[in-house]
Amino acid sequence: MRWLLRKAWTLVAVYFAYMLEYRGEIFFWMLSGITPFFFMSAWTVAAGRGLTVYGADDYARYFFAVFVARQLGIVWVHWNMSEDVRSGKLSFRLLQPLDPAWRYLADHVGERGVRLPLLALVGLVFAWLYPQALVWPGPGRLALGLLAAALAFGVNFSASYVVGLLSLWLEDATEIYNLWYVAVLFFSGMLAPLSLYPEPVQRALVWTPFPHLVYLPAALWSGLEADAARGLLSLLAWNLFFFALGRLLWRLGRRHYSAMGA
Amino acid sequence: MRYLKLLAIFWQTSLAARMEYRTAFLLAFLEAALEAAGKLFGVYLFYSNGFDLGGWRWQEALLVLGLASLLDAFFIGVFNPNLRRISEMVQDGTLDFVLLKPVSSQFWMSSQQFAAVGLPFLLVSLGLIGYAGGAAGLDAAGWLRLGLGAAAALLLAYAVAFLFATTSIWFVKIFNVVYFLNSIVWTGQYPVQAYSRPFRLFMTFVLPVYFMTTAPAEVALGRLSAGWLLAVIAVSLGVLALSRAFWRFALRYYASASS
Repeated sequence: MRWLLRKAWTLVAVYFAYMLEYRGEIFFWMLSGITPFFFMSAWTVAAGRGLTVYGADDYARYFFAVFVARQLGIVWVHWNMSEDVRSGKLSFRLLQPLDPAWRYLADHVGERGVRLPLLALVGLVFAWLYPQALVWPGPGRLALGLLAAALAFGVNFSASYVVGLLSLWLEDATEIYNLWYVAVLFFSGMLAPLSLYPEPVQRALVWTPFPHLVYLPAALWSGLEADAARGLLSLLAWNLFFFALGRLLWRLGRRHYSAMGA
Repeated sequence: MRYLKLLAIFWQTSLAARMEYRTAFLLAFLEAALEAAGKLFGVYLFYSNGFDLGGWRWQEALLVLGLASLLDAFFIGVFNPNLRRISEMVQDGTLDFVLLKPVSSQFWMSSQQFAAVGLPFLLVSLGLIGYAGGAAGLDAAGWLRLGLGAAAALLLAYAVAFLFATTSIWFVKIFNVVYFLNSIVWTGQYPVQAYSRPFRLFMTFVLPVYFMTTAPAEVALGRLSAGWLLAVIAVSLGVLALSRAFWRFALRYYASASS
């Protein structure tokens, strides 16, 4: 067990060092995620006219939480996989006594180590600009929100990995991931708190993973109404689903791999 | 004329190369449709909650959305695939070969690639603009102003994106700045009047998203006088000239990685 932990730790440390080299790029990547703050601004204007049930502070809190939740959930393993398949780099990874999926996971976890301090920086700026929005969610909600964010990362990662595996057949599968990404963009609660969505849309979305990926952790942190039990169960189920699908495709897909460039 | 011919050759080769990935192209149609639906839903969310985005009728707001989609299509089809190569070529030193060619290096770096997946997005955005313009009751002069405004907006978006991408001469691996810009343009989906004052100022004077979507729509709808059209065009040409000057300036610092 200790031996395994040491191995995992080394792998993560290697990728952390690698990502540290590209901190500037990660910073700009993070900045490109600031769109929720624009939605915050627009909804605040709407709130100023008394149009919605939430007030300006609620929106500031919620959209900051959305920003954090999205940053924690960012994945790119579909891109790694497509790249490795097309360039033939996957051949080398297959020679090692380690499932490449672990390498990709370490890549993501190591990157979070670089992203978190930068995220704290944005948090400080936000706290300075909107001190009235700061509120302690309480340990329970904070922990539940973190759990939801971790599970959401799991779903994102497994789904992205599944799409990446499709590139064993299609060579370039990044376009498929964009379909998933677009759905997340519009139905995860980034545009507005989910309770402002039309009723039928809300009811339909409960059965998809999308609202739980961003809205659930964000609502838990910012004090909006959230059905934590159902959301967490749903996230767990989607994790299992994409994990199983990923294992299946990995078994089938390896036979399809043509080792380009070798 | 020579440049037009070159452009035709560039894009033919790009298309031919991308034909290898036909599934991706077909999927892009689905993606473009889904994304348009999502964007419409975004606008609808505001209106269904009674917020008129700062005094815009629904079909007028869609005109702004259409212009933003048009910019998006150009980012996907032309700006992103080309500008990411600046960063790549600085990294491995292949920019040398471009600089040696008897063509404007800025032209080469901005137009050599053409991603076919941008085409479905272009079609959808044109459809959206056509519908919104018709529903908002644009007359012939309005359409003309819209066309000119949209052209100026595209030029401006390109110039700002190129300005950003040029910084890779110093920072080498900084492709994400173009993504950053892309996401800022995303906020131009809604008229700037929908946002609070600090955001409005940011979108006008810091990153001129206002001139890319809201201003052309306002000019076309006659909310702003035709004189403003000249202002929008002047801003575009000004930033374009700036991007040219900045590229030349940056090249003086290019150290050529491998030689």
